[in-house]
Amino acid sequence: MKTSDLRYVLKLTAILFLVTAVVALLLGGVNALTADRIAALTAEKTAAAIRTVLPSEAEPQKLERFPDESGNVEAVYQMGEDGWAVEVIIGGSQDDIHMMVGVRKDGTVSGISFIAMAETPGLGDVAKQNTAKGEAFRSQFIGMSGSVAVTKDGGEIDSLSGATVTSRAVANGVNAALACAAGLS
Amino acid sequence: MDFKKQLKEGLLTQNPVLVQLLGLCSSMAITTSLFNGLGMGIAVTVILTCSNVVISLLRKVIPAKIRIAAYIVIIAGFVTMIDLLLQAFLPPLSEALGVFIPLIVVNCIILGRAEAFASKNGVLASAIDGVTQGIGYTAALVAICVVRELLGNGTFGSGVISAEGARILPEPFPAMIMILPVGGFLTLGALIAFTQWLTKRIREKEENEA
Repeated sequence: MKTSDLRYVLKLTAILFLVTAVVALLLGGVNALTADRIAALTAEKTAAAIRTVLPSEAEPQKLERFPDESGNVEAVYQMGEDGWAVEVIIGGSQDDIHMMVGVRKDGTVSGISFIAMAETPGLGDVAKQNTAKGEAFRSQFIGMSGSVAVTKDGGEIDSLSGATVTSRAVANGVNAALACAAGLS
Repeated sequence: MDFKKQLKEGLLTQNPVLVQLLGLCSSMAITTSLFNGLGMGIAVTVILTCSNVVISLLRKVIPAKIRIAAYIVIIAGFVTMIDLLLQAFLPPLSEALGVFIPLIVVNCIILGRAEAFASKNGVLASAIDGVTQGIGYTAALVAICVVRELLGNGTFGSGVISAEGARILPEPFPAMIMILPVGGFLTLGALIAFTQWLTKRIREKEENEA
């Protein structure tokens, strides 16, 4: 290899390295600037989701230990004598669905709410929308106990679309929460 | 610097979706309601303009042999930074656009314009190219959205004029197939044919006048 070639290769390497280094530095800076705020906003959303799924006078108490056979339960909040708010993370169609399930002391679902999801717009993401369709989907779970399933699997939950990917994932999330609550009571 | 000419190219004769056939993945995936089309269109327009400006500024610094790698790093970095900033400071917008933003990194319109335009033209022209191509992309998405939402869901403007949108077709008429990918391809094909017909007509008219 001639020296001029070597120089050229080194120059290319140096420039590409410089570009990536600058971008990485900027990214680190932006991350440092925003990480705290994003964490605070997520905590706020979680608190709001707890209130939505299980209205209660009691302050939510985060439990240190809880039964979790499915491996999908992220956290459990005890709501005094009213029941539990169970935070579940379960695989959806594109990304994990991050949801909160309220379970009353008697083992029935009091409500579900979504903290984050990236389901297909127009199909699966209807589940979290504040529309009549979304509301109807979520309210189907209220009062259910034991285990739930979509109609295609012989259950009672009407799915959002024919593919049932999101609906099945949500049903599995609710099952994980119900199993966890059953182990607590 | 010819804003009018570039706008005409972006909207019609060089429309990124309907003529260049770029960014089809996002055009198929999200065009099911007016809100999605507008949201994705605006997000792409902003990022395309920013990345065009930066790449135009760096066009003499980055050697041709490593340009693609460098562009990808710059675009991905840009998108991630905007994603983080939106999450922290504009959470409602971030929630609404949440699914689209990571899609922008892989949207080949951004890299396509960096390669075809920004790397060869000045900063101002590149910025205008970002805006006009972005408008063309948004217009194409909105057109697909309106057709698919009307035929697939029976509504117009859901998420924009109200959460549910205005119901135009009563319940039994909307066909689920239009919301599914098949409907996207059908609509896109029809729109491409319409665009070709329109550009041909305009060209013939111009030739007759000349």
